[in-house]
Amino acid sequence: MTRELLSALGQYLSEGSLSDARLLTQTGLEPPLPILPKANVIKIGGQSFIDRGRVAVFPLIEEIAAKLGQHDVIIGTGGGSRARHAYSVGLELGLPTGVLSVLGTFVSMQNARMLNYLLAKYGIPFIEPAQFAQLPHYLAERGAVIFFGMPPYSFWHENPPLGRIPPHRTDTGAYLVSEVFGARSMIFVKDEEGLYTADPKKDRHARFIKTISVAELKALDLQDVVVERPVLEMMQHANHRRSIRVINGLKPGNLTRALQGEDVGTLIYAD
Amino acid sequence: MPHTTEREDTRYHLASTLMRESLLDKEVQQSTEVPVFRMLPDTHVIKIGGCSILDEGRAATFPVVDALVTCLATQKLIIGTGGGARSRHVFAIGIDLGMPAGVLAELAQADALGNAHILGTLLAPYGVVAIPPHIFGHLLPLFIRTAPGVIFTGVPPYALWEHPPALGRIPPHGSDAGSFLLAECFGSQDLTLVKDVDGVYDKDPKRHPTANFIREISVTELKKRQLETLPFERIMLDLLGHARLLKQFQIINGRKPAQIIRALGGEHVGTIVYAD
Repeated sequence: MTRELLSALGQYLSEGSLSDARLLTQTGLEPPLPILPKANVIKIGGQSFIDRGRVAVFPLIEEIAAKLGQHDVIIGTGGGSRARHAYSVGLELGLPTGVLSVLGTFVSMQNARMLNYLLAKYGIPFIEPAQFAQLPHYLAERGAVIFFGMPPYSFWHENPPLGRIPPHRTDTGAYLVSEVFGARSMIFVKDEEGLYTADPKKDRHARFIKTISVAELKALDLQDVVVERPVLEMMQHANHRRSIRVINGLKPGNLTRALQGEDVGTLIYAD
Repeated sequence: MPHTTEREDTRYHLASTLMRESLLDKEVQQSTEVPVFRMLPDTHVIKIGGCSILDEGRAATFPVVDALVTCLATQKLIIGTGGGARSRHVFAIGIDLGMPAGVLAELAQADALGNAHILGTLLAPYGVVAIPPHIFGHLLPLFIRTAPGVIFTGVPPYALWEHPPALGRIPPHGSDAGSFLLAECFGSQDLTLVKDVDGVYDKDPKRHPTANFIREISVTELKKRQLETLPFERIMLDLLGHARLLKQFQIINGRKPAQIIRALGGEHVGTIVYAD
């Protein structure tokens, strides 16, 4: 068969093994293009934020609405208490991680739908993974779009190294959207100021960490961290989104400050 | 399960064993290490290579189809397909156009689905067809009880959510990984990867005629040996390392189609890679 391929890379790829490190190196020589470099991805926590109801959610919705047109935002949602309930029921029944992933997806979808109705009057759509091809259009038209944070792995979800709970949940799903689109920022909206040395809800001696590298964070080997650990791994391999910010969305103005690039909350970066 | 007393918890919780817990806490994670229910223990997942079988046309494909038909008479097969040469091509064009790994993963699904339909056409006389990914997972138990086998897109639905690769731009979760993850989730009896080599060698057998065949090897040993090439996706070693139900897989040579029948019958004909 004669092959007339675009590039030497095309030749390597058609003939070589994708397990060969030399070939893989060739595929990464040119960085990928940022697809939506002006967009910001915001993840709104489930247990930490949406489960608090209107006291927490309404002011944040107002803050997002006030900034429409100034900052493009792609909004992902967490699961929270109901996801914990579903995981707990599923674990007791012995359901595999892939099925728990499906259950978690439904909860983050409920949260996305509720935020969608709260922002409906501004013409902000909720999209499922199958509709992501329309995301750039919605963003250009309305300046915001809502998606459910869970990545669509469903039955194909990888097992965690420890336990049975799906390791790639809504933090990871939102982060991956920011990386694949080459977004301007990845902001996690939670109910704490950012990262602490321990869970500040349980340990009053927990110390706040303002800025930290992934390597430093890994070296601390904390019992508990503020974002899913796979996000830290992925940041180290990322082409675009090599830092993330965790902010306290309960404090009015924090999200706006983060969108403006101010140093609010905790910044975690890959070296 | 750790119990916690919260200071001024103003969140609304639904009572459960994970209520108020951080799912990122290692102790909480450890507490969820429980036995797993097997959904389809009598099924076999078998992945048919794109480059190695289907792209080679009738000469390689028809004997594989005949072997599958023999197995389908007595066994329940869940058949995955890879994307093959077209995926390699779209990767090259996509990389040239500056596409990230997530976009390449999205594109690769189309090639694997195309190959699923090619195989589905050849197995149609036996009631075995290709099922598109968005309904496949949820309806698999129904399909497998109503037909002797089903075909799916081996490439898992990671698409834009593909993990950034450690090296280069190729999506790490290809059709080997997709077949593995499916077999693990549904608790299938075994996973067989049908390639165009007998199994794992200490060197690429296509370039080194003197390469030594490895009949069986553990994940730890394979990682330690850092072989230049493997006849399956490298991420398989991590996936197998974290498996709870599927503790091994077998690589066999589809150019020797009798191996398919023997492997699905439980024989050790190629290379078995196992979790330690």
